[in-house]
Amino acid sequence: MKTKLEEIRCTAKKLLSEAESIREIEDLRVRFLGKKGELTAILKQMGGLSSEERPVVGQLANEIRGDIEETIESVKKTVTEKELQLKLEAEKLDVTMPGKKHEVGGLHPLNRVLEDMIDIFRSMGFDVVDGPEVETDYYNFEALNVPFDHPARDMQDTFYLADNLLLRTQTSAAQIRVMENRTLPIRIICPGRVFRADEVDATHSPVFHQIEGLVIDKGITMCDLKGTLEQFAREIYGDDTKIKFRPSFFPFTEPSVEVDVSCSECGGKGCRVCKGSGWIEILGAGMVHPKVLKGCGIDPDEYSGFAFGIGLDRLTTTRYKISDIRMLFENDLRFLKQFN
Amino acid sequence: MKVSLNWLKNYVDIDVEINVLCDKMIMAGFEVESIEDLSEKMKNVVVGRVVSMAHHEDSDHLWVCQIDVGDKANLQIITGAQNVNEGDLVPVALHDSYLPNGAHIKRGKLRGKSSEGMLCSGDELCLKDCDYPGAEVDGIMILKADAGAVGTDMREVLGMFDFIIDFKITANRPDCQSVLGIAREASVVLEKEFKMPAPEYNSVGGDIGSHISVRVDNTDMCPRYYGRTVKNVRVKESPKWLKNCISSAGMRPINNIVDITNFVMLETGQPMHAFDMRYVKGNRIIVRNAADGETMTTLDGKAHTLSSDMLVIADGESPSCLAGIMGGLESEIREDTTEIFFESAKFRRDSVRRTARKLGIRTESSARFEHGVDILNVEYAMNRALQLIYDLDAGDIVDGVVDIATTLPKERELDVEVSKVNELLGIDIPGETMVRILNSLSIKTCEENGVLHCLIPSFRDDIESRADIAEEVMRIYGYDHIVGTDMTGTVIRGKKLPERIKTDAVKQLLVANGMFEITTYSFISGKAVDTLQLSDNDTRRQCVEILNPLGEEYSVMRTQLVSSMLSVLTTNYNRKNKDARFFEVSKVFVPKNLPITQQPIESPRLCIGMYGKDEDFFTLKGVVEELIGLFSKDVEFAFADEPYLHPGRQAMATVNRNTVAVFGEIHPKVATQYGLDTRVYVAEISLDVLFAIESPQLICKPLPKFPAVERDFALICDVEIPVAALESAIRAGAGKICEKIELFDVYTGDQIEKGKKSVAYRVTLRSGASTLTDEDIERAVDKIFKKLEAAGAVLRS
Repeated sequence: MKTKLEEIRCTAKKLLSEAESIREIEDLRVRFLGKKGELTAILKQMGGLSSEERPVVGQLANEIRGDIEETIESVKKTVTEKELQLKLEAEKLDVTMPGKKHEVGGLHPLNRVLEDMIDIFRSMGFDVVDGPEVETDYYNFEALNVPFDHPARDMQDTFYLADNLLLRTQTSAAQIRVMENRTLPIRIICPGRVFRADEVDATHSPVFHQIEGLVIDKGITMCDLKGTLEQFAREIYGDDTKIKFRPSFFPFTEPSVEVDVSCSECGGKGCRVCKGSGWIEILGAGMVHPKVLKGCGIDPDEYSGFAFGIGLDRLTTTRYKISDIRMLFENDLRFLKQFN
Repeated sequence: MKVSLNWLKNYVDIDVEINVLCDKMIMAGFEVESIEDLSEKMKNVVVGRVVSMAHHEDSDHLWVCQIDVGDKANLQIITGAQNVNEGDLVPVALHDSYLPNGAHIKRGKLRGKSSEGMLCSGDELCLKDCDYPGAEVDGIMILKADAGAVGTDMREVLGMFDFIIDFKITANRPDCQSVLGIAREASVVLEKEFKMPAPEYNSVGGDIGSHISVRVDNTDMCPRYYGRTVKNVRVKESPKWLKNCISSAGMRPINNIVDITNFVMLETGQPMHAFDMRYVKGNRIIVRNAADGETMTTLDGKAHTLSSDMLVIADGESPSCLAGIMGGLESEIREDTTEIFFESAKFRRDSVRRTARKLGIRTESSARFEHGVDILNVEYAMNRALQLIYDLDAGDIVDGVVDIATTLPKERELDVEVSKVNELLGIDIPGETMVRILNSLSIKTCEENGVLHCLIPSFRDDIESRADIAEEVMRIYGYDHIVGTDMTGTVIRGKKLPERIKTDAVKQLLVANGMFEITTYSFISGKAVDTLQLSDNDTRRQCVEILNPLGEEYSVMRTQLVSSMLSVLTTNYNRKNKDARFFEVSKVFVPKNLPITQQPIESPRLCIGMYGKDEDFFTLKGVVEELIGLFSKDVEFAFADEPYLHPGRQAMATVNRNTVAVFGEIHPKVATQYGLDTRVYVAEISLDVLFAIESPQLICKPLPKFPAVERDFALICDVEIPVAALESAIRAGAGKICEKIELFDVYTGDQIEKGKKSVAYRVTLRSGASTLTDEDIERAVDKIFKKLEAAGAVLRS
């Protein structure tokens, strides 16, 4: 009987070591350890053994059962591992194949730049407001110190809709509405669409966009204007950007300046982009004209302020090196897709 | 304003390089548009004398000339011209010379004879008779005996060693539309003396009153009219220096009298006019408004019909000059003119501007009047003109003046506190520095107890307040002194308007849906409404028209965004961009009345447009649903009747019975008009309506505690019945325990009776209070069937 038991142990271990699948192992477990298995069959014959032999054989049988069970577990582990290995190998992918995407669209480049500008100015405490695109002569010109038949009107070719109504030529028109309607102090930007009767070419569009800025408070100085614009320029063009004021003329600011930024392309050395000057003109600005303040019921002896107007289209074309402003209004998908 | 550097040097010592001068002028507020170096146009052309001439042996027309150009040996030069004689002075293009017409001349051989250069014609030097007398002769330009010694650079002879600087003059500085004005500024930036000419001349007696009588009828439009008479006029060519000045400004020299008026205008900024007294009928000048319909022909030969708002200078009979704009053809100065009346006047700028625009004329004179001339400069300009008449011996100056003026202004006083100027600028400029700067700008200033007492000269009408003084000081002191500071004062939080925040959310959703934002013009063709097949009484036909559009294509303000979207889709389709999803957020302009008398309503709109192999009505509807879902969950869809959309494939979305969106497939006829032979889907969404929806405050609901039950319903109904009707029947039937209704199949075809369709729903039921019992469920299902039956649907057997 002992010999038989040892034989079972031997056969079971041998067959288990050859097993290749979990199923085979399971079959072997049933064959040797199952209720009708070989080991059980032997144990059933234990009744014929003497009382001295019984515990010895019984012990041996248990030991063999334990041995086989252990072997099953360890073989199972190996086989599982092997099976997984095979499965993983079979599942290998060509990871260089393209990903499955849900296509995302994008904002128009003008609005991408505008969003940046809004962020910058909001962080400096500027509210973002809107104004009407169809304006009265009063808001677009008169209140901005450009009386009727003033030569300053020649600076801008205006689209007229009626004697007194026009498409605003500058977002500055919104300044007056803000000053009339808001409590002081004022710190706003007004982005928006403006119109001038320019024939279309690579650098001119009859429809374009400006961002008007206006600050009115006690003790606002021209140095504050420069500080604000410096901060803006550094955010847009990089930390070592410098700005320069050049005297100019706008009817609604005094003193008035053109503002140049150091060319981000060449760092001010002079290149094709800045036409060799090292500077790029980006906006007009100045201290709000006392007449404009008075016209809006603000005492220029108590309050002062500055205003600036930034051309969004030019900012966008220079930022993305867009060679022709018309591309902004053509909306070719291949163009638009480059900005997302 | 084009200014010759040589001319400028008459009034101020310029001892710096031209670039230095220009940089300083730019930083003082005078932008330089261009610098032209006149000497660059010609090189190596000198004065030569023809020493001898001989016929070329192998030619019947060529001459072999020996030319003295000041070198030891004469040069042999061949010419084909027949007007040259021995002893003549001629322009000689030496070997390796460049001519203004672009030619590069080298030595060479002509029929075997060597030629060391070329004798030049006026044409080759780009000269006309007015530039150099005799320049237009057929042949070589023969120089005058006093042209210069042999070997003199021709640029010297022609006054070409000069720079022409083109300054951009801002609208607030009419005084700088003159060489003197620029010179005054240059003297300040260079810290040099400004040398203003002091006119001197002798007159011959007599009395102007016996030559002419002048009356000004409209002193409002003509605040000052100043005149002098010159008799025994000797009309001739102007001297070279005068002609050079005239040409440097881009004008044409004509004769001494006309050139004097132009010179004075360029020098002083005051336009002048000379009348030939022979054509001043009745020896009377009347400054008056034109009569409606009155006509006159201007110097340029054009006839004009005038109206009563235009100011003219008339003689006893008819207008002979458009005041401040252009003289009449009749009274222009001719060679045989013997007596002239000189006019120097101030006309009101808006009057000149309006007349010039109406008649479509723009002259050097009108430009100056439009910007404004100095009423006191009127007399100075006249005296400069008379001095030139005297110096050039161009006539005899008659005593007496005509000077009809309202009141002449005195220098204006303006007191400005030094501290207030510094407060505005934010820096500390000493009072004495301000005084020095202002005085250098001819603003007589002294300081007393921190207050600047300024006397503003009449030519600086633009200076009215402290801010103007601050600018004058600053532009000379230098803007580099302005140092950036951070604003102090109340801390303000930068806010966005709610509309902008909502627009941002809308855009974000659309971008996440694969849409690209577009930007199009706000004005469109007036014909777009026809292309969209809008009916005659459609309010969107009521467009605001632009009075001066760039063309028909851009003539009306849009009342809808669809036509712009279709144009963009067409562009992309034609360029073979396969699939496109676009959106635009912009305003439409709805007039309150037409023609408009008040601002139109500007309504924010969103337009979505798409085409492509994966697009259909429902991909569009999905986006619209998501979009409206940002603002409301209670949206209803119904068939719409938009004329530009496919009659069976369009819908409108309403929230609280307000139409938020209309969308669908473009009508094939409209698509064809745009040249689109693919299915195109568009939606137009009224953002103002959408944004007006009050969004309820979000409150988190607890997660369900009790299990849900799903039941499927396979139904048959008429094809015509919209599924929305079935869905509301199910909702009504299920009542409060209805959690979700999903449509998962719609089928028409072989298995189904004709005219019917099979519709399948999965309905999720759940109670918030307890687990649903079989009885609860059965009761709900029964009710659902009843409602469905009422809606025209039966269970599919």
